Amino acid sequence: MGKAEDIIKALGGAENIDEIEACATRLRTVVNNPAIVDEKALKAAGAFGVLSAGNVLQVIVGGEADGLAMDINDIIE
Amino acid sequence: MALQVLSPMPGRVANLSEVPDPMFAEAMLGPGLAIDPPRSPVTAVAPISGTIASLFPHAMGIEADGYSVLVHLGLETVQLNGEGFTLLKAKGDTVVAGEPVIEWDPSVIEAGGLPVITPLIAIQAEAGQITQLVPDGTQVEAGTAVFEIA
Repeated sequence: MGKAEDIIKALGGAENIDEIEACATRLRTVVNNPAIVDEKALKAAGAFGVLSAGNVLQVIVGGEADGLAMDINDIIE
Repeated sequence: MALQVLSPMPGRVANLSEVPDPMFAEAMLGPGLAIDPPRSPVTAVAPISGTIASLFPHAMGIEADGYSVLVHLGLETVQLNGEGFTLLKAKGDTVVAGEPVIEWDPSVIEAGGLPVITPLIAIQAEAGQITQLVPDGTQVEAGTAVFEIA
């Protein structure tokens, strides 16, 4: 669960994550406050890249997106 | 040893910069190219031999010997929840390059308003590891070798 926890932290913590789901290769998440998202920490946690548009962030993680989204949802729920 | 990557479908070879999704266009996942398929029912085949490491109605990831290749059928197609796609294999199956994996109809997907251009990506490879074997704009068949990963 280390990676999932690192990503949650980089996204500003569980309370900042409004919604997170997986696509084939990326996590799509809606955050409450995009200003506190730490892109460097996301990359340090293994993200290949981050795309953001307002409150919607895409964290590019490759094929493990599905498993990571499940882990993250387990932790933050 | 270089690994040849096959086109999963017939279509026109396109540069990734033509793909209207920055994750692919900026090669965030890795380098590769895109295939613009015909607007008729097609079967997407495995681009390399290996294990199906990830499988969605609209995407497959095949891994072998440290290589990982992704085929993403159209863009934003995750929102279709599988409608319009038929899986012929399961996650974890072993496939031979050229073996059918997913059936879909780009004309139906396009009629629904989604792009059908299909990125073919060498996940997390360096740009310098890729050699494109056919120029952009070429019409290829399913199974044509389109690039090599060193």
